Amino acid sequence: MRMTQRAVIRARVIRLEQWRRRHTVPEDLNQSSDAALIVAIARWHEDALAEVYRRHAGAVVALARRVVRDPEIAEEVAQEVFLRLWTTPDRFDPGRGSLRSWLLAQAHGRSVDRIRAETSRRVREERDARQAATAGYDVEREAWDLAVADRVEHVMTGLPVGERQAIELAYFDGYTYREVATLLDTPEGTIKSRIRAGLKRMRADLVDTETGQPWHHS
Amino acid sequence: MAPQLTHADIQELLGAYALDAVDPDEVTAIDDHVRECPRCRSEVVDHREAATLLFVGAAAPEGVWSRIAAGLEEPPPPFELPTPISIRRRRRPMRLFAAAAAVVVAVLSMQVVRQDHRIDQLAALSDQRGLGQAAAAAAVMPGARTARLRSDDGSQVVDAVVLPDGRGYLVRAQLPQLDRDQTYQLWGVIGAQTISLGVLGSELTITPFKAAGRLTALAITAEHAGGVVASAKAPIVQGFVATT
Repeated sequence: MRMTQRAVIRARVIRLEQWRRRHTVPEDLNQSSDAALIVAIARWHEDALAEVYRRHAGAVVALARRVVRDPEIAEEVAQEVFLRLWTTPDRFDPGRGSLRSWLLAQAHGRSVDRIRAETSRRVREERDARQAATAGYDVEREAWDLAVADRVEHVMTGLPVGERQAIELAYFDGYTYREVATLLDTPEGTIKSRIRAGLKRMRADLVDTETGQPWHHS
Repeated sequence: MAPQLTHADIQELLGAYALDAVDPDEVTAIDDHVRECPRCRSEVVDHREAATLLFVGAAAPEGVWSRIAAGLEEPPPPFELPTPISIRRRRRPMRLFAAAAAVVVAVLSMQVVRQDHRIDQLAALSDQRGLGQAAAAAAVMPGARTARLRSDDGSQVVDAVVLPDGRGYLVRAQLPQLDRDQTYQLWGVIGAQTISLGVLGSELTITPFKAAGRLTALAITAEHAGGVVASAKAPIVQGFVATT
């Protein structure tokens, strides 16, 4: 029976530890680094996830909206991304870029999956038509979309036309580089080079003009 | 089957790869290459950071957080000691491999605590850059034990190395990528208990893990994303850890 007693004691200790972890919120979350927030999320601190959301959800939703072109679906994508971070924070590898870029890569992958499905394409076309006909589109959302769109437009127009077209079709419309090559009637090799060169140019321009840090957050 | 791509071919594809704009077979080849090539990995990071810059300043929308908060998983339930199940209780002698299957499948249904393991795994993953070298070094360390995890038909194989202090690595993981809503989960047998050693994601790479005790067997299951505290699924691969 000693075994049973030990089991009971151990269960109590673990319950206490779980309670402590859940209710001991790290101080100054808004001052914490993304890496510290990830560790806190691994310890089941909801406040840490909320802080990550506050910092990065705007970009996540903005990207998803730009790709899926539907606010509701974009918010579903964001929801999936943050829930995934909650359940498997260890999937974020700090050796492979910032938390923001990881979250955006997750959001982009999920968004592209949605629009690449043939049925989704049909749904998207129907939805686009429906949205165009809807007079009372959410004004707040529209303003928010426009603000993001202005920035994206500003950045993209700084690129040579060929690079801009290739990146827009690939990144925002979810086409593969091969599909982009077909759409633009351009050799695949040229499209690959344009995407790569455009991203390098974009990074150089933006790091110069923004903060010098590519992953600063609001 | 992944196409044979040279380093130059892959370099040309890195921009499209960073934007999810390459074909699935190319993704596999580039994933493998990027894992081993720091220069290409760094370029992919740069491309993704560049794309990130497009959305600087976008504010978090109201409303979505409440839905996320409502969907947050509760911490795992309290640990309960499982009823030990021994191979020796089997009525008929079984081959070693079949015995491992029986033990692992039976005890996977028990309650486990994965909270500590996900923290351990997180800490271990904090420096992925040297992971390949660390795993290679571990394999030749004194006291290192190896395990070969196989599927029932032998077509799928994962190799692991376990150190005396409980640290270990999956060093050769050749399981297919799962759908995004699924994840591999690693389980270890210590004494009569089976514990979760980590939720590994939909794609296996060189993966560190840590066990608080002497591992006798390892198994990998496929679960819904996020993993489970108890699994009744049959392992995809499993195997004993060598005794020496």
